[in-house]
Amino acid sequence: MKLETSAFLDKAKEALMETDKVQIRDFIGLFAPLARNAALGNFDKFDQLRDHVKQVKQHTLDNLDCYLGQFEQEAIENGNRVHFARDGDAMNEIVLSICQEHRAQRVIKGKSMVTEETALNDHLIRAGLEVTETDLGEYIIQQAGETPSHIVGPALHKTMPEIRQLFLDKHDLGPRELEGAPDLVAEARTMLRDHFLNADVGIVGSNALIAENGYSMLVTNEGNGDLCANLPPVLIICTTLDRVVPRAVDATAMLRMLVPSATSQAITCYTSFYSGPRRSNDPDGPMETHIVLLDNKRSDILDSNYREMLQCIRCGACLNHCPVYIGVGGHAYGSVYPGPMGSVLTPLLTSLAESHALPNACTTCGRCAEVCPANIPLPDLLRDLRRDESLQKLSPASWRFGTKFHAWLATHPWLYRTLTGLGIPLLHRLGRKRGAFRSLPMASAWTSHRDFPTPQGRTFFQQYKTADKQLDDR
Amino acid sequence: MSNEQSAHSSPEQPKRPQVALFVTCLADLFRPSVALDSIALLEQAGCDVDVPRLQTCCGQPGYNSGDYEATIPLARQFIEVFESADYVVIPSGSCAGMIKHHYPKLLQGEWRQRALDLAARTYELTCFLTSVAEMRRGTATPVELGRVTYHDSCAGLRELAIKEQPRKLLKELCHTDLVELEQTEVCCGFGGAFCAKMPELSTKMSTDKVDSAIATGAQIIAGGDLGCLMNIAGRARRMGHDIEVRHIAELLLGDRDGPGIGEGTG
Amino acid sequence: MTDSIRSFIMGKIRRAGRGASVAQVSSELQSLGPAPTPSLISESTSESFIANVLINKGTVECVSDRSAAVKAVADYLYQRFRSHKLVAGNDSRLAAMPWREAGVLPRFGSAENGDAAGLSYARLGIAETGSIVTWTGKSCPATNNLLVEDHIVIVELADLVTTMELAWERIHQHIGKQDKPRGINFISGPSSTADIEGKLVMGAHGPRSWHVILIGEVSGSSLEKARQLAGQ
Repeated sequence: MKLETSAFLDKAKEALMETDKVQIRDFIGLFAPLARNAALGNFDKFDQLRDHVKQVKQHTLDNLDCYLGQFEQEAIENGNRVHFARDGDAMNEIVLSICQEHRAQRVIKGKSMVTEETALNDHLIRAGLEVTETDLGEYIIQQAGETPSHIVGPALHKTMPEIRQLFLDKHDLGPRELEGAPDLVAEARTMLRDHFLNADVGIVGSNALIAENGYSMLVTNEGNGDLCANLPPVLIICTTLDRVVPRAVDATAMLRMLVPSATSQAITCYTSFYSGPRRSNDPDGPMETHIVLLDNKRSDILDSNYREMLQCIRCGACLNHCPVYIGVGGHAYGSVYPGPMGSVLTPLLTSLAESHALPNACTTCGRCAEVCPANIPLPDLLRDLRRDESLQKLSPASWRFGTKFHAWLATHPWLYRTLTGLGIPLLHRLGRKRGAFRSLPMASAWTSHRDFPTPQGRTFFQQYKTADKQLDDR
Repeated sequence: MSNEQSAHSSPEQPKRPQVALFVTCLADLFRPSVALDSIALLEQAGCDVDVPRLQTCCGQPGYNSGDYEATIPLARQFIEVFESADYVVIPSGSCAGMIKHHYPKLLQGEWRQRALDLAARTYELTCFLTSVAEMRRGTATPVELGRVTYHDSCAGLRELAIKEQPRKLLKELCHTDLVELEQTEVCCGFGGAFCAKMPELSTKMSTDKVDSAIATGAQIIAGGDLGCLMNIAGRARRMGHDIEVRHIAELLLGDRDGPGIGEGTG
Repeated sequence: MTDSIRSFIMGKIRRAGRGASVAQVSSELQSLGPAPTPSLISESTSESFIANVLINKGTVECVSDRSAAVKAVADYLYQRFRSHKLVAGNDSRLAAMPWREAGVLPRFGSAENGDAAGLSYARLGIAETGSIVTWTGKSCPATNNLLVEDHIVIVELADLVTTMELAWERIHQHIGKQDKPRGINFISGPSSTADIEGKLVMGAHGPRSWHVILIGEVSGSSLEKARQLAGQ
């Protein structure tokens, strides 16, 4: 994962100045929640199902040794080769060596956030392989040399004219109109068809690994993942060990939460379950299949207070509902996982030292937790990360001492009263005429863009004391 | 301790609910009228109101900055100061959410039990006035407000499910044309320390909020949390709008003689 | 090397776990009960199935028997392609259908690049989601539903189930532990994408159209009601 999270605040500021992108994001922020609500509006048992899925997920994580072992055994019996990768580099190396073993040249990929996390493409391309992303969004950003801005819609930040120009530049197809989304989709379809037919290796991710039968669930609308999983002679499933669920019914129950939350549909066009290589009487399918299980600190997260984060099913709803994500966009986060889920996950997958700006990029509005189909208390986890930040003294000293002083003062009510009783009336006298300050020392972050309302007069307790005296005198 | 018992102990003359008001630090310092009006409203609703002297702040600033250690003494102080009351009423969704949801998470052992006990008796003002001591339109002429839009504060909305309560009170007690903001459930950009940590983004969010309020044609933006209201009012002033911004307690009582939030006297 | 990494990771996971026995784990899972299922869009399973197929941007035709299904396929092909070319899997049910009556001669086997229409005989239909279920094998090569322009599916009324849970029950009845199919596919519409400015476009990589032929007694009023439920 290329990490540039330390630059988060600067990138966020820059992102706010790109007016066309701000417009796109505002559009997503307005319509994605409406669509999600419409999709879940008819579903009367959202809360019950959410509780159920969460319980199953928690149970799975509590007993992950049992279920992961079961999955591995079933998957091997199904004819897969199962690999464990401790970190991203290890996963990339495993995938490369499989490709090299088969003297593969052309690799096609379904959408996989895990391989984005490990920057697999770069690794394979450096070794001389041709890697083609086949999810349309991923294909677009690959052509543009960018990273995903959203975990479900990787190219949602790009406008239609940008994509048109990109295709005109990258596809050597002579002069053509190329107007509108259908034209663009048709052109990408033509370009990608050859890749599908001629690939040596297909790489896909997994939405769930089913312990009871060793199947891997693949959820797409385009069907590109299925083409990758069925056409090339070798299939590699790159996934993480927290994707395990006990049973097939648990995978599809999760689907009821995942799909409406992600794309506002009841189900995606293609929901497929793959068990392994071609069977003896199969007319098609890969001859060899591999499952690479990446850890990359998931086992540490499992053993920490952040275990709930492993319940995440990567639907992207928290992104669509987060005012910070909608405001600054996915690229500002400098991690492939943006938005609330990313602000929790990125520090855990890397380190808080390099990404502690992320847990602070939160108004604690709680909308992410409200819509999270896995019921992850994201604002609480973000706050806990700020606690770790504070304990590790990563936050600015002035902040830490400021909060400590405030808390100390507030536990000394009479001193608190005396000081506020002196300051507030003074502030009132200075600002009462205008009613608000245009600038205030020590509050420039506030007054740089908004007025600071003047206190009404004396503090409540100054007034109340007087009223009380009158009452006592009566 | 339980109010149900005390309320039923003398059926002929039900005991008036004993309410302790948590003023909140923002109302104490910046807008005492919110607390004074809350007291008046609670008294109208038939409650005896006490304002414990040793109260200060619920501890949200430290808590949300991740300094749990510094917040714990504040939470304990709050519990000690308030736990003798039948009810704690708070004219703020985020402070009420802090007491009801976060104290029990923050504290442990015996303190956690005390926090849970107090949480069960703690109410945000409009929740209290619609569920415990119900406000009814009295004989007094209803307050004339004109077109009002209500800003849902995030903590109130999501931690306490405050949505209909303030609207119900506005409709019940005032003559008003209540209009809804577009994307009313989106944060105004205040977020406590957030507005200082990411001022540009916070400004964008506040601007969006002010723009949608102006688009409703409302004369008044009402709300239940002073943090949000000071942010919205501050941004509206800077943008040159003179829309009136007030806490719901002021509006329900028709207390509009003084300047609105961020408005001057001169 | 690989083994040691496996042991290292598994060891960490084991230490983070509770060390419960397999029996304990299994009874705990049982105690969580089944997942709540959503209520169907209509009380009738077939109406719900049809309505959801339509919502999934599919088209539906109801026919009374296999003979009528053949005619429906022929008409559909002619209307779409002015041709009767079709590729179908080596499914005994498909092979036994009276294709010659309608002048259609399917090529039994796997679809190649350039084949316009593919036909599958679904194992199941799921009313909850408007999906059809197939699994890979001679009777249903994956390319027949992935490479073609038009995917036509025949499903029998008797094979409709209400929920995905019941679908799994039926799937597990069909497949034994020794002969698990390579792929089990829930197909719920034509290949589509919204990756360009959120605009829905059909035919991203695979079928641009998805046509479901339901064999069984479905009344005209049921079909009409399903259309209404789908907002058509």
